[in-house]
Amino acid sequence: MAAATEGHYHDRVVTVLVVFAMVWALVGLAAGVYVAAELVWPGLDLGQPWLSFGRLRTFHTNMVIFGFGVPALIATAFYSVQRTSHVPLFMPGLAWFVCIAWQVAILLGGASLLAGMTTSKEYAELEWPFDIAIAVVWVSFAIVFFGTIAMRKVKQIYVSNWFYGALIIVVAMLHIVNNLAIPVTPTKSYSLYAGAQDALVQWWYGHNAVGFLLTGGFLGMLYYFLPKQADRPIWSYRLSIIAFWAFTYSYIWAGPHHLHYNAVPEWVQSLGVVMSLILLAPSWATMINGIMTVSGAWEKLRTDPALKFIVLALAFYGLATFEGPMMSIRSVNLVSHFTDWTIGHVHSGALGWNALITFGTFYFLVPRLVGAELYSRKLANLHFWLALAGIMLYLLAMWAAGVSQGLLWLSLDELGELRFSFTDIMASMAPYYMLRLLAGVIFLAGAVLMAVNLFFTIAGRATIRVRPPLAAEPASG
Amino acid sequence: MTTTGFSPLLIARLLTKPSAVFQQLADSRPPAAEVFFKLAIWLGLLPPVFAYLGASRFGWNLGAIEPLFLPSPVLAGISFAYFLTLLFGFVTTALVSQWMATTYGARHSLGIHFAMITVVGAPLAVGSVIHLYPHVFLNVVVLVPALIWSMFLLYRGLPIVLRINPQRGMLMASALIAYLLVAAVSLLGLTVMLWGLGIGPRVGI
Repeated sequence: MAAATEGHYHDRVVTVLVVFAMVWALVGLAAGVYVAAELVWPGLDLGQPWLSFGRLRTFHTNMVIFGFGVPALIATAFYSVQRTSHVPLFMPGLAWFVCIAWQVAILLGGASLLAGMTTSKEYAELEWPFDIAIAVVWVSFAIVFFGTIAMRKVKQIYVSNWFYGALIIVVAMLHIVNNLAIPVTPTKSYSLYAGAQDALVQWWYGHNAVGFLLTGGFLGMLYYFLPKQADRPIWSYRLSIIAFWAFTYSYIWAGPHHLHYNAVPEWVQSLGVVMSLILLAPSWATMINGIMTVSGAWEKLRTDPALKFIVLALAFYGLATFEGPMMSIRSVNLVSHFTDWTIGHVHSGALGWNALITFGTFYFLVPRLVGAELYSRKLANLHFWLALAGIMLYLLAMWAAGVSQGLLWLSLDELGELRFSFTDIMASMAPYYMLRLLAGVIFLAGAVLMAVNLFFTIAGRATIRVRPPLAAEPASG
Repeated sequence: MTTTGFSPLLIARLLTKPSAVFQQLADSRPPAAEVFFKLAIWLGLLPPVFAYLGASRFGWNLGAIEPLFLPSPVLAGISFAYFLTLLFGFVTTALVSQWMATTYGARHSLGIHFAMITVVGAPLAVGSVIHLYPHVFLNVVVLVPALIWSMFLLYRGLPIVLRINPQRGMLMASALIAYLLVAAVSLLGLTVMLWGLGIGPRVGI
């Protein structure tokens, strides 16, 4: 590979991954809006099984997490690992395989979910042939990423690569262990685990998918792109490393808080609570690090609409990482569990943190990939306000709905019997679901503006070719 | 630069001429005690008083069939706790804002931070008139536009009032939003914990 290291960075694969991420974002968000509408008007499924809530909701989560989120992470990991290592990608052909194979898996996997093939494990619904395909692609991703780091010309491994590295290793472990199953037919398998063990393994996977993919992976994105956008080093590099190890150690234990008051040992639940509360420290250390980094770069906001998204993403990261540990406390969970409060919490993280930081990163990255100005700053600014309005409306609607549900479900009458039936309570939620639908439409409208903006920025332009620096320079540069 | 002029009339002018209000605050140096006792505390009283009156007359309608009535003493206690919580929220937000002022190069006097938070919170305090009919969804529908107006005032007014450039104002306003979001969700968590302890509505825990 000595010859390759003297060539250009492999950025065309990054551009293609960004384009696919945006396509899947629109598909996934539109599916989310549709299922939100189905909760207001159930007849919208038109009697079609593939349009039913159960299938379309799963399609929505898979498209936004694995269709939008993962390609965004692979793209930014490929882009940043080259620049922090001062070498082009290791095995670029394999990088292209990762890019294309992942999109094929998402396309066929999405279709399989609409066709009703499912393991019924949340966020791991894809059946065993897809699980094997995903494992192969993921290992290929690992070879490209760690191979590039192994060939680096900079001694230090920059902190963003630690987070991307943790994402790759831990998600591989989670995916393989949680999906161990006995195939019965090409489209159906049964988990190797049973009962409470199955639940524990599933939420060890589910919570750490949130932890290492939706948090750790995107922190890698933050730690590379925030200093680049702010044009200054991270406020405290030492704090970022401490936060990394504290985050990695404590997150992995927090999963059992999804199983409060279930048939798992109480000490396991308590362990989940304690580790969830400890998790607040590294989470907020990162938030403070980000806010302090950006606080000295205010002049950049004059010309760069992208930075706004990252600033707001940090605010919602702070909210989501506080709300999560709080909801893991059993006396809070008693009311919040099985209500729309949880849905609101998930979306404060998914829309407020994951989507906003990705939007901000793409607004920064795409013009640099094609060597052009962003097509329209006005559209990007409008997108910012639409995203903020959509998220706030979503959260308020779900907070109000969730707390009302929690209270109504637990309300007793004079005889000590439950006061309200489940169906009465759900019927009364329609107005909140209408508000949530409106919030989703506003957020989707912003994403459409972004897709249009990026399309006109990229259209007719080739990805520019950039060479690694000749002499060793600071890794974060 | 004036030291007075902070009156309830400011709140009325927020709807028609917000920029003029911000400029007036920017040119003044209101003492913290004056802002607090002349305006903030009275605005803070509105939501709990409206909530008490509405809940005792109509009961809280959570969208299910029957409204939820609470005994008067319990209701009074909850309303008083609501008032204390709002005051605590007001003072801590102003203090956090003052603490952030160093980082963002903003004015440091506590009075001006009290004034800014009062102005930003005013739409929500006035919008709380909807508590007189305590239907949760109706309250959400009215208070969401009030909240949007508050956020507009925060992003628009903060750089003018604290005399920093709009870019730094944007960063500081977003940092304050982060604090306020965490405070709001803490309040939710605290509330349901109190229900679990038997304080508030009768629930089967």
